[in-house]
Amino acid sequence: MSVATQSERGVARIRSDWWRPALVSLLALLLVAATAELVLDGAAGRSPLVPKSPPIAGWLAGIGERLGYRVFLIAILSFAGAYAAMLLLTRRPRGAVISKRWAIVLIAALHAIVFAGPILISTDVFSYIAYARMGVEHGINPYLHGPASISHDPVFQYVGHDWRHVATAYGPLYTLLSYPFAPLGVTGALWAMKIVAQLASLGTLALTWRCARRRDLDPVWAILVVGANPLYVIYGVGGAHNDLLMLLLMMAAVSLTLAGRDAAAGAVVVGGALVKATVAALLPFMILSRRRLTPILGALAALALGAVIAYLAFGVHGLDVVSALNRDAAFVSTDSFAAEIAHLFGKPGVFPVDHDLLKAALVLIALQMMWRTWRGYDWVAASGWTLLAISVTSTWLLAWYILWPLPLAVVTRDRRLLVATLAVQALFLAHQTSPLFATVQ
Amino acid sequence: MSEASTSAHPDRFSRLPAWLRPRGRELPGSGRLRLVETTLLVLLGLLLAIATVNDVIRQTHTNHRLIADLATWRVYTGHAYHNLSIEQELFGTASQHEVICGNTSPGAPKARTQLCLVIYGPISGARRTVHGGWYLPPKVEDVRGDRYGCFGAASRGMCPR
Repeated sequence: MSVATQSERGVARIRSDWWRPALVSLLALLLVAATAELVLDGAAGRSPLVPKSPPIAGWLAGIGERLGYRVFLIAILSFAGAYAAMLLLTRRPRGAVISKRWAIVLIAALHAIVFAGPILISTDVFSYIAYARMGVEHGINPYLHGPASISHDPVFQYVGHDWRHVATAYGPLYTLLSYPFAPLGVTGALWAMKIVAQLASLGTLALTWRCARRRDLDPVWAILVVGANPLYVIYGVGGAHNDLLMLLLMMAAVSLTLAGRDAAAGAVVVGGALVKATVAALLPFMILSRRRLTPILGALAALALGAVIAYLAFGVHGLDVVSALNRDAAFVSTDSFAAEIAHLFGKPGVFPVDHDLLKAALVLIALQMMWRTWRGYDWVAASGWTLLAISVTSTWLLAWYILWPLPLAVVTRDRRLLVATLAVQALFLAHQTSPLFATVQ
Repeated sequence: MSEASTSAHPDRFSRLPAWLRPRGRELPGSGRLRLVETTLLVLLGLLLAIATVNDVIRQTHTNHRLIADLATWRVYTGHAYHNLSIEQELFGTASQHEVICGNTSPGAPKARTQLCLVIYGPISGARRTVHGGWYLPPKVEDVRGDRYGCFGAASRGMCPR
């Protein structure tokens, strides 16, 4: 084929693809509109989807209407549909080229809208504040008692009913990081938590960018996949979840490994696990891939330091992450795939034997991934598969748990991980749709 | 330093048999492993998709039933209240017997004397049948010790006296 023919074909393709950037812009507007709809309606208050909260978004009240299940589902499904179409249209090599500035403006707009609004979907952020206030304001160890021990505190009324008697399952580093917010009062602490979530999210995206570029992947597409993801924006950032802080440290560890700073990477993974234990899943893959002593030494040093600090701050209970994880692993949520499969086979729910089977399946997957990593498979992808397996086999599945593998999936060449992660997210959203067909009210 | 440096010390593992030695990169291979993995992933995805659709259908049927139950409580009491509580566990979820509780006079949820109705049977005319019930004092959860005035066959043994 001659150069002239190739050039003519290129020009023809550009001419025939003129509609792509226009459509992508329209889809971006749809993402912004759906987010604004959810936030404005959420700010109207008295919604089952917006937890009881101090009036932080009162200035937006009166613009939207009370957020019901139907509007929520239509908005989130529109968001998800537009997001999927946008990813397909902008995927290289044939997709519409979008600029770095365009992607950043879109992601910043989505974050800003969510920041201005109320806490969405989850009461978890009030548990974070309650645990901080227990330690700072009341001198109660949050690893020994639940928020019910401070029932007279102003934050107590906002803590979810299911969590009022539950001691914290979060890592001691996170608990200590949240302590400075306790004296700010409930509203001040809530804003502080929202700022932390925003900064953690933006940091995660910056590190995702850096990792994608280091691996010769399209960094713009990578941050678009993560930063415009409906579960990430609405559930993760919207709920100010500490999973974002965990993701930040996870991506910092990946970035450090890619830069050859193995000891620091090992230490940062442990730091992440001291925020939320799940991220520790990365460590074996990192070690198997690097096959050096340095990440192990870094991890051990961080673990020793973290253990001393946790012991000094919380006593021996601050170190007992395993029992907290075991306790949470016994919970069952209706959104978990384990419960769905149990219903499919005519069982009323998940039984202890199912927990054991799921744990065994998870161990087998992790071992297979470790073996693959030892034999040269990308450790980042192996870590992503393991995090995805943890969320799929968990009997306690929440939307923000399916975010864990997402930043890893966009910085690996095994595209199956990204497809699988997005498919699991899509199934999670699909599972929420029954109120569209019959709304109980 | 880049990732390529992971294979910088090849002789450290040279005593291991070839199949056990670590590799810096996977061998290209015939693609069979990838095919097997992808097939397993697709099958697992199908299972999850079928389970999800099945659960949505199941939940939609449940919602239809609950809508009928709420309508039944409103017609039975003559109160068009929206803050009603639904209890599905008392008789077991598989029994499809629901207990709907609500105030007997206007007020915040559970702020007044509550009337609880035991409802089950097929949906007919967007309603189901009330088979019994009981009263609860204000500001209490539905526990046996607080129930009084039990009536109907379904409430037999549900009140303390």
